[in-house]
Amino acid sequence: MRQQLEQMQKDALAALAGVTTEEQLQALKVRFLGKKGELTSIMKGIGALSSDERPVIGQVVNSVRDCLEESFATCAATLKASLKKAKLQNERIDVTLPGRRSPRGTKHPVTLVVEEICDIFSGLGFLVAEGPEIELDYYNFEALNFPKDHPARDMQDTFFVQDNLLLRTHTSPVQIRTMLQQQPPVRIIAPGTVYRCDYDATHSPMFHQIEGLMVDKGITFGDLKGILTIFTNQMFGNDIGVRLRPSFFPFTEPSAEVDIACVICRGKGCRVCKNSGWLEILGAGMVDPEVFRHVGYDAEKVNGFAFGMGIERVAMLKYGINDMRLLFENDVRFLSQF
Amino acid sequence: MKVSYNWLKEFVDFDLSPHELSNLLTMLGLEVDAIEQLGEGLDDVIVALVEERAQHPNADKLSLCRVNNGTEILSIVCGAQNFRSGDKVALAQIGAVLPGDFKIKRSKIRGEESFGMLCSEKELGLAEESAGIMVLDADLPLGAPVFQALGLKDTIFEIGLTPNRADCLSIIGVAREIAAKLGKKVRYNRPDVKEEGSDISKVASVRIDDADLCPRYTARYISGCSIAQSPRWLVNRLQALGQRSINNVVDVTNYVLLEYGHPLHAFDYRQLSGGKIIVRRAGEGETFTTLDGQERVLNHSDLTIRDDERPVALAGIMGGENSEIADDTSDILLESAYFNPSAIRLTSKRLGLHTESSHRFERGTDINILTVALDRAASLIAELAGGKVARGTIDVYPSQIPEKTVTARISRVNEILGLSLDEEQIAAIFTRLEFGVERVGEGVLRVAIPSFRVDIEREIDLIEEVARLHGFENIPLSMPVAQVFSDRIPRNQQLERELKNLLVGEGFNEVINFSFASHADLLKLKLPESDKRSAAVSLLNPLVDEHAVMRTTLLPALLQTTARNFSLRNFNLRLFEMRRVYLIRPGEELPDEPLHVAGIMSGLRHPEGWNQSKESVDFFDAKGVIEAVADKFKLPALTFVQGGVEPFYHPGKAAAILCNNELIGTIGEIHPDVQEAFELDKPVCYFELDFAKLVDQSAVTSVITAPSRFPDTYRDIAMLAADETSASAIIECITSTNIDKLRSVEIFDLYKGDKIPEGQKSIAVRVRYGSFDSTLTDEEVNKFHQKVINTLTAKLGVTQR
Repeated sequence: MRQQLEQMQKDALAALAGVTTEEQLQALKVRFLGKKGELTSIMKGIGALSSDERPVIGQVVNSVRDCLEESFATCAATLKASLKKAKLQNERIDVTLPGRRSPRGTKHPVTLVVEEICDIFSGLGFLVAEGPEIELDYYNFEALNFPKDHPARDMQDTFFVQDNLLLRTHTSPVQIRTMLQQQPPVRIIAPGTVYRCDYDATHSPMFHQIEGLMVDKGITFGDLKGILTIFTNQMFGNDIGVRLRPSFFPFTEPSAEVDIACVICRGKGCRVCKNSGWLEILGAGMVDPEVFRHVGYDAEKVNGFAFGMGIERVAMLKYGINDMRLLFENDVRFLSQF
Repeated sequence: MKVSYNWLKEFVDFDLSPHELSNLLTMLGLEVDAIEQLGEGLDDVIVALVEERAQHPNADKLSLCRVNNGTEILSIVCGAQNFRSGDKVALAQIGAVLPGDFKIKRSKIRGEESFGMLCSEKELGLAEESAGIMVLDADLPLGAPVFQALGLKDTIFEIGLTPNRADCLSIIGVAREIAAKLGKKVRYNRPDVKEEGSDISKVASVRIDDADLCPRYTARYISGCSIAQSPRWLVNRLQALGQRSINNVVDVTNYVLLEYGHPLHAFDYRQLSGGKIIVRRAGEGETFTTLDGQERVLNHSDLTIRDDERPVALAGIMGGENSEIADDTSDILLESAYFNPSAIRLTSKRLGLHTESSHRFERGTDINILTVALDRAASLIAELAGGKVARGTIDVYPSQIPEKTVTARISRVNEILGLSLDEEQIAAIFTRLEFGVERVGEGVLRVAIPSFRVDIEREIDLIEEVARLHGFENIPLSMPVAQVFSDRIPRNQQLERELKNLLVGEGFNEVINFSFASHADLLKLKLPESDKRSAAVSLLNPLVDEHAVMRTTLLPALLQTTARNFSLRNFNLRLFEMRRVYLIRPGEELPDEPLHVAGIMSGLRHPEGWNQSKESVDFFDAKGVIEAVADKFKLPALTFVQGGVEPFYHPGKAAAILCNNELIGTIGEIHPDVQEAFELDKPVCYFELDFAKLVDQSAVTSVITAPSRFPDTYRDIAMLAADETSASAIIECITSTNIDKLRSVEIFDLYKGDKIPEGQKSIAVRVRYGSFDSTLTDEEVNKFHQKVINTLTAKLGVTQR
């Protein structure tokens, strides 16, 4: 009987080794350990054994059963693991297929540049100010020291609504409106839409400017250079060269054009900078006493500087856009790149 | 304005390359826009001698020449006829590159070898047209580069002059700037006039009637001139600075204009009735033909130069046809006068007649240079046209304009510029600028301003001069010392950026269209005339009809942008624009400029992809965006009111958006007619909101409620309702039960079609119940839910499915 048991154990283990499916495993379990299985039928012979043999064989039976049960459990676990592995393998996907996306939006490059410039100046304590686009001659010209019938007015071709009402040609009237509303100190930045009666490859009848104004006691031309250097460094990189050269605006004196080293050739000279190595990006200067007179500030007590720049120009340099018209054609293939 | 490097050198010594000079000028505020090198790369075109000109053996029209280039004799084939043996000519040697990238190579022409080319002026870029080759003066050195030998090698600077610097509209003016910067002196050569015969007063007189417009008028009389072509040097100088040569007399006046910056005019004396010059305003409606052949109608604000009978010149702008220098002119009256800048500008602008002369007068000329310029021109005319200059000058100058002085405080100069210059340093700068300097007190200078500096009137103007001459680059960087003050970014600005961020997150591309529109665009929208958007702000001088008015709604431009994108095969569009519109406010000085935000949606709901659904966007996609905006801005509940919204929407697919009973915008599918009018072949959904109203309605702070710690329970109801029963009616009906445990109502299914009786729809609603105290039992929930069902049935007559 011991032999029988040992033989059965051997058979069972051999059969288990060949199991590949759960069904086979189940069938073997029934065959060896089931109610009508081989172990049960061998055990039926125990009754015929002597009382001496019985406990001995009983032990053998237990050990065979334990061994088989453990083997069946191990086999079941292995089988499960390998089936799971196979299943996962079958679930393999092609990860190179494109992902499922939501529509992606973008801001217009003009907005991006305005936001960036406003952020830089906000960090320096400048507030954002606004003003009307349809503006009175007084704010756009007169108070900014552009007398009527003065050649300086030719610098800005103007769209008129009525004799004294026009589309602002620059954001500078915001300076006047701000100073009329408050006393110094003033620190503002004023982005906005402006208009000039001019349309060709490099001029758009509508474009954007951003204006800055700082008025306080003891502000100097050196301070203007300092603030503008901070700005150009933050906007175009810390190593960008900056130069100020004399120019003329009726509402500032001394007036300056501000150039940065060409962002394309880094000052070596190329087509974009017309071989000069420099790119003009903004106009600036000390607020003209005549402007202070118009807003009722005492030019002996406070000084200030103002500056203004074209947003499109900055956007074009920043993003390497060579045709301004792209900015207003609104082709989504262009817009979606920002 | 153009200036010549060589010409500048006649007035000031400097040791700068053209490139260095360009930089110096730019850093002085005379921005050099372009540099042109005359004769650059043409050193291989040399002075050569034709030793022998013989007939080409194989061609009637060609000659075969033996040409001496100074070192050897070359064989050259030439097609021109206008030269002989012994002539000096311009020879382009092998390797030379002529203008237009024309390379000279060794060649064989009809069997004869040619080692170069004899050039015409046209081929060298010296003239527009030329007949035959250039025959040179016999005394030019053999073998020398032609441009050098002719004195044509030069650098021309194109200066973008700012309107304040009238004094720099001349060679002398620019020379003065160079001298001031380099600490040199300008060589003013006082012109020497040889006067002959009787006094000018015997033949001519000048009377100024309107001295406010012409404070000073000077004249000279030159008789016996022969009008002819100008000499080569004069033609070259004028051409180099962009002026056409006319004749020797007119060219001299132009030459002096370029040199001194002072416009002159030469009259044909025999055309001046009575030898008289009268300076007077034109009569109202008087006609006058300027020398460009145009008849001009004048008015009382125009200043004329007249003789006894008629106008002979439009003062300071252009001479008259009736008195211009003709080929047979012999006696000349030469004018040098000062005219009032704004009067000249007014007339020039009104007539659209902008000349070199008006350009200078309207910016302000130097009233003290008049006789100098006059003498310079008179002596040149005498020299070049062989005329005799009569004794004396007419100089009518009724009230002398006094010298200008301006006071400068040393402390103020340093305060504005952030420098610490002393009195001597500042005085030295003024002296270099030819200003007179007098110390009138501790740290105070009285500065006499020369009459050519019309731009300097105030202390700040002097401060600018100090900055310019000291050099902007030598002013040290500093940071302002300022009081700290802080204001939060205004709420509207903050929300503007947040709204843009939200729309970008919703997949919209921001566009910027021009603010202009046309009446035609507004008509296409079918807006009634009474609509305030129909009355747009119009421009007096629009560039094109399509840009004649300022837009009153963002819609037309967005539809045009959509159409443009459709034509580029960009069909899946989500575009937004956040810009101002311009509405007339009766009785107000300025129109209203409310900021609007508008969006367009068209095409597929999801980006195209292998695994994306292919549904198109509809009204509810747009509405979802509005709901997202409402959430973000924490607006009170929005109401969408259907019917009679805007004429440009589909009548059944549009709504007015109300918030607290205030209209904040509209939403809808664009009406097929409007869609067609804008040439759109696909449906488009649109919304437009008034941003200020959004900001007004948005909650500044919001209170957050902690959720219950117990789970909610929900019940679904599927019901048949009449078609007209709106979703909002069903939701309101359910909330009207006032069950305090009712948490939310959600519509989760809608069906219309075959399986439903006509005129009805199947609608399914999920109602959530919950409590803060416990998990609700089935019995409690059933009780609430039954109440909901009963209310729906009673109030709306729905039947449960």
